[in-house]
Amino acid sequence: MREYEAIVIGGGSAGLAASVALHNEGVTDILLLERDQELGGILNQCIHNGFGLKVFKEELTGPEYAERYKDIFVEKNIPYKTNTMVISCDKNRIVEYANKDEGFVKIKGKAIIMTTGCYERNAGAIQLPGDRPSGIITAGTAQKYLNMDGYLVGKKVFILGSGDIGLIMARRMTLEGAEVLGVAEIMPYSGGLNRNIVQCLDDYNIPLYLNHTITSIKGKDHIEQIVLQEVKDFIPIKGTEKTFDVDTLLLSIGLIPEQSLAEKAGIILHSKTKGPMVDESYQTNIDGIFACGNALHVHDLVDFVSTESERAGKAAAQYIKRSDKNVGLSVNTIANKGISYIVPQTIHPKSIEQNLELFLRVDGVYQDMDLVIKSGEKEIKRYKKRHLAPAEMERIIIPKQWLVDINHDLEISLEAMK
Amino acid sequence: MFDVIIIGSGISGACIARECAKYQMNTLVLEKNIDVASETTLANSAIIHAGHDPLVGSLKAKFNIIGSRMYEQMSKELDIPYLKNGGMVVATNEEEIDHIKMLYDRGLANGLKKDEIALMEQAKVRQLEPNISDDVLMALYLPTTAITYPMEAAIANLENAMDNGVQLQTDAEVIDIKKNENYFEVYTSDKVYKTKYIINAAGLYAEKISDMVVPNYFKITPRRGEYLVLDKDVHVVSHVIYPVPSKKGKGILATPQYHGNLLLGPTSEFVQFDEMKQTSSKGLNDIKNNIKKSVKNIPFNKVIRTFAGSRPTPSTKDFIIEETMVKGFINVAGIESPGLSAAPAYAEYVVEELLVKNGDFKPNTSFNPIRKRVNRMNELSIDEKNILFKKNHTYGEIICRCEQVTKGEIIDSITRNAGAKTVVGVKHRTRAGAGRCQSGFCQVEVSKILAEYMHIPLENVLYQGKHSNIVKEKTKGETNERI
Repeated sequence: MREYEAIVIGGGSAGLAASVALHNEGVTDILLLERDQELGGILNQCIHNGFGLKVFKEELTGPEYAERYKDIFVEKNIPYKTNTMVISCDKNRIVEYANKDEGFVKIKGKAIIMTTGCYERNAGAIQLPGDRPSGIITAGTAQKYLNMDGYLVGKKVFILGSGDIGLIMARRMTLEGAEVLGVAEIMPYSGGLNRNIVQCLDDYNIPLYLNHTITSIKGKDHIEQIVLQEVKDFIPIKGTEKTFDVDTLLLSIGLIPEQSLAEKAGIILHSKTKGPMVDESYQTNIDGIFACGNALHVHDLVDFVSTESERAGKAAAQYIKRSDKNVGLSVNTIANKGISYIVPQTIHPKSIEQNLELFLRVDGVYQDMDLVIKSGEKEIKRYKKRHLAPAEMERIIIPKQWLVDINHDLEISLEAMK
Repeated sequence: MFDVIIIGSGISGACIARECAKYQMNTLVLEKNIDVASETTLANSAIIHAGHDPLVGSLKAKFNIIGSRMYEQMSKELDIPYLKNGGMVVATNEEEIDHIKMLYDRGLANGLKKDEIALMEQAKVRQLEPNISDDVLMALYLPTTAITYPMEAAIANLENAMDNGVQLQTDAEVIDIKKNENYFEVYTSDKVYKTKYIINAAGLYAEKISDMVVPNYFKITPRRGEYLVLDKDVHVVSHVIYPVPSKKGKGILATPQYHGNLLLGPTSEFVQFDEMKQTSSKGLNDIKNNIKKSVKNIPFNKVIRTFAGSRPTPSTKDFIIEETMVKGFINVAGIESPGLSAAPAYAEYVVEELLVKNGDFKPNTSFNPIRKRVNRMNELSIDEKNILFKKNHTYGEIICRCEQVTKGEIIDSITRNAGAKTVVGVKHRTRAGAGRCQSGFCQVEVSKILAEYMHIPLENVLYQGKHSNIVKEKTKGETNERI
């Protein structure tokens, strides 16, 4: 069995950035495995702009953003295989993959980085009542049909869920000649970025129905009608039913880290992020297996996928080179009042390089709050926040020197502004 | 002229078709849907019941007992999923204990052997099923209860029938039947077929077909059952767990599926024909509330899918399996539970007793009872997979990530007898799209493979029903003409 220093599973934005970082740190015996026919992952079908504002300080389309990383990746001659599906990975870091040239092959990695991305929640998961005809399709699948293959799935469209892909597709399908009748969101706030509400719905007069959901689907073979209903505390309110004739219902009801490989390897997943629990080096509970990007937790900006994955790649390189695996005392990060989740879930203060990167999401929409970080009684930092929303991930960088002598869990909460 | 036309390709029509293939009969199966077995057979609990439940002396009881004993052999010949995991009817109070004791006697009276049915004390039940509800006091233990995959059972029977000369026409709804002196004319929208015998195995539509020949013979009312499907990593129970049955049916069951998912349901509700496949918030909530009576620790957040199917409930309350007063017109109707379990038995009865004894049919000496299912790569060892791969490189191309289904398997499912014609048909034959992402990732690829091997443009690829085209139109370049 061929043994590599590092195996990277997935050639999207996370896998590319992690591989480049590994290479920059001197780890060159890498193999990246990508299931699609080309590198770039989901960026290839995201032909809209808005990528790269943080990393490149300019506005790029998805394929353009992917191209920047692909160029660096290819220039470094990092070995990779496309059209190659990884079908298992175990706790001993033995990976089995398959493709049409080699068949089924087992290899081993000193380190493995899981950059498998995420998948879309579907109708089954939310138990959508009514018929189950064709024409109900996740927004990303419709995007793939449209942007990769050139087929429009329908011309009279309603969208359930206000996730970013749904919003982007509202605009995209309108531009292709479809009529988008509305977007229903069961929560009192949007699940997507504010800029997408403005640029994809408001600019095209597409109504956003907050506190609404779809309570019935009708259609024998193909979808014909949906019933939209207002909700209070998630319960539909009688008498608020509105009927729409449609030929397509797009679902944009959330993304879930793709972790079927991780689960079989015994990696512990977090109940909120649905991705692995990791430490500050993005290492999971299984020695030598790392995770980053949307496979770890779903990001709203690819720029943060790249920066996170660079850190993960660098950390994996250090893991590969290091003989002493003692990383010192560990503390947990605790999501207190107002915080939905924090990544990473554990940190080793002594092992932090220069600074600690924390990602978190809040559990509701807030105005004028203090985001407070504490360890035991000690307040480490307090940030003023004018606006916080679950759809907008917060990124916090904490310098190493603030953390070296902590020995209590790192607790984060929202407090009324002082 | 056909000897036999079978109307309907559910489990009844499929098993009868295979029995017909054992004789020199010129047989045709007509199916109104695009794919076979798309109604009741497609959406049910997938259980081979032991035979404890039907009333003593009924056709249901008779054929259930014989049929369930035929499954093991049939599953070997046809390579059908079959797992004898056993069942338990669980009682939670004194009244229910009396009821399972009554069922114990009924099971023996129906013909179950002493080692096929037993009353089991609470402690033993807990030991076998740690997640059984704390309220359960006693269970009726049924070790011969088994689970299968009904769609595959029907497809396998049809495919084997076709391998042995039976013909199948899908997308062929029977709209009229005319009786002549000594043959029938069967009309579909575009063809007329002549036949000596008709077997009405039209399930939910059996009343409609029967009325074309012998009006007002019986009534069929759809009785809907809704289900929840939980993800594969949920291991709550290993046996089929039945509550004590009520007047409405066997109640809400917890059934481990052959492929590893947990199925909860069905509800039971008489509905109109256009509501047969609809799920409802109420039904799905009823399942969640009622199942707690028998089983605890069910992670409802692991639901990956919901569906509804309907049983063809007959006005006669028992199976209707007989030649009618019109000679040559045979009804196999009202096949609700335990129809799946009973099908091999009544299929044999129909062909041996109602056809062969009346007609002059010689055995088909070249009948081959063996059929191999589409390979399941993810059940094989790496060496076994590579043996297949070396013969055919499409077995190295994984299309469905969740269920690890290869292009080779999908092509095989499309190109063999009684093959897949739709995205859902591919799913039922290969499990591509049946995993947790529910085809979000592979649907586009599966559609393209269907287009390629059926030689049709992508716009004509169907999801399931006749008008269920997935994509509307091409946005760039020349638009393909619609058929």
